[in-house]
Amino acid sequence: MRKLLDFLVRKRHWFVFILLEFVSLTLIYRNNVYQRNIMFSTANVIAANIVSVTGSVTSYLDLREINKELLERNGKLEMELLMFKELVEAMKADTAVFRAFSMDNVRLFPYDFVTAKVINNSVTYLSNYITLNKGKKDGINPDMGVMSDNGAVGIVIKASDYYSVVLPLLNTKFNLSCKVLGSSHIGSLSWNGRNARYANLDELPRHVQFQIGDTIVTSGYSTVFPEGILVGFVSSFERQRDDNFNSLKIELATDFQRLNNVMVIRNFRQEEQRAIEEEVKVND
Amino acid sequence: MISFVRNLMYFIVLVLVQVLILNNIHFLRLVTPFLYLYFIIKLPVGLTSSKITSASFLIGLTIDIFSNTPGMHAAACTLAGFSRPLIIRVLMGEELSDTVFPSYKSFGYGGFSRLVATLVVIHHLTLFLLESLTLFDPLFLSIRIVASITTVTLLICIVEAFNIESQKNGD
Repeated sequence: MRKLLDFLVRKRHWFVFILLEFVSLTLIYRNNVYQRNIMFSTANVIAANIVSVTGSVTSYLDLREINKELLERNGKLEMELLMFKELVEAMKADTAVFRAFSMDNVRLFPYDFVTAKVINNSVTYLSNYITLNKGKKDGINPDMGVMSDNGAVGIVIKASDYYSVVLPLLNTKFNLSCKVLGSSHIGSLSWNGRNARYANLDELPRHVQFQIGDTIVTSGYSTVFPEGILVGFVSSFERQRDDNFNSLKIELATDFQRLNNVMVIRNFRQEEQRAIEEEVKVND
Repeated sequence: MISFVRNLMYFIVLVLVQVLILNNIHFLRLVTPFLYLYFIIKLPVGLTSSKITSASFLIGLTIDIFSNTPGMHAAACTLAGFSRPLIIRVLMGEELSDTVFPSYKSFGYGGFSRLVATLVVIHHLTLFLLESLTLFDPLFLSIRIVASITTVTLLICIVEAFNIESQKNGD
């Protein structure tokens, strides 16, 4: 007995080692199930505070570039607005006045957005995450879509009171339902872990017509993103093994390496849609 | 006590440098320099195995929190910390005094860089293999591993050359 105890005490570093490895591996495993329970993450107040210090410093470095982009985008939107105004004028002049206009036909746009700043970001791992400087107190909750000025970014997976963590397109665990602009067949966008500029759009039926350079947008088949948010552009394609589907290489519209300001999209009717979908599934 | 404060300083400084600066570097999209391994290397030789393992686990977990990778760095660091006493015994023999910590002076250039290289290899192999469990892309993976190991080993050797503490009382 004494010898056994002696042995255990002498070899105690083995037990420490095995225990700690077990803890680490448990963390990894739990995290892989679905990224919901990250206890140890930058949504944690202390970690987020430290990180946001650098975030506030580095955000000044890109200001010139961001300003230029915003100006360009502003100009583009203004041109679009002018175009639409002109279109409306032309149509008004062209059509008889429609007096029996019923409000019921108007689909209210159920989306709203909150702007937030990126305070932590990575692009080199296989599982990348982005931390934002706003959380539940600002109305951000898990399962909200996130987009930048240029296009889709990802989905909020965890929100603490003042911070939230986003699962971006640049995470091998993330799939986004997308389509080629102008067609209605959907494919699933995923990242292969290599290049932060490109992602793959798989399972797109072969008969869908497209060309190199075509725009890829979100399909709107989820409660997270509205339809038609820019995701990227087709850069090349190849047939998949079973020949019925195309696999497209997409150049992402969002430059994740220079991500600075983002918009979190709130969908007022998300709960409602979820609930009704769940109900149907239960009845099945 | 002094030794504890010294280790704590190393811990804080290296974690901050890693999290605030180095985690944002992705050289050629291949290499992120994990300089924080320097902490595990610079722990005193006299610490017991279990203390070194726990300290390594702690720094790994801290880095995990900041880079949103639960468990991966912790697992890799625990293994590296656990194997450190073994490696030192193999490389340097048993005759080191307890107060010594690894440096060019106490280990010699060859000995120290071999220690660094071995630990970095153990850590990076574990880290990258854990990270890519889901993704089978052997060529890219091996390029990343080799590039990272080379960079980090060189970086740690360079940092050690400029470390004032080692030059003052390296013996």
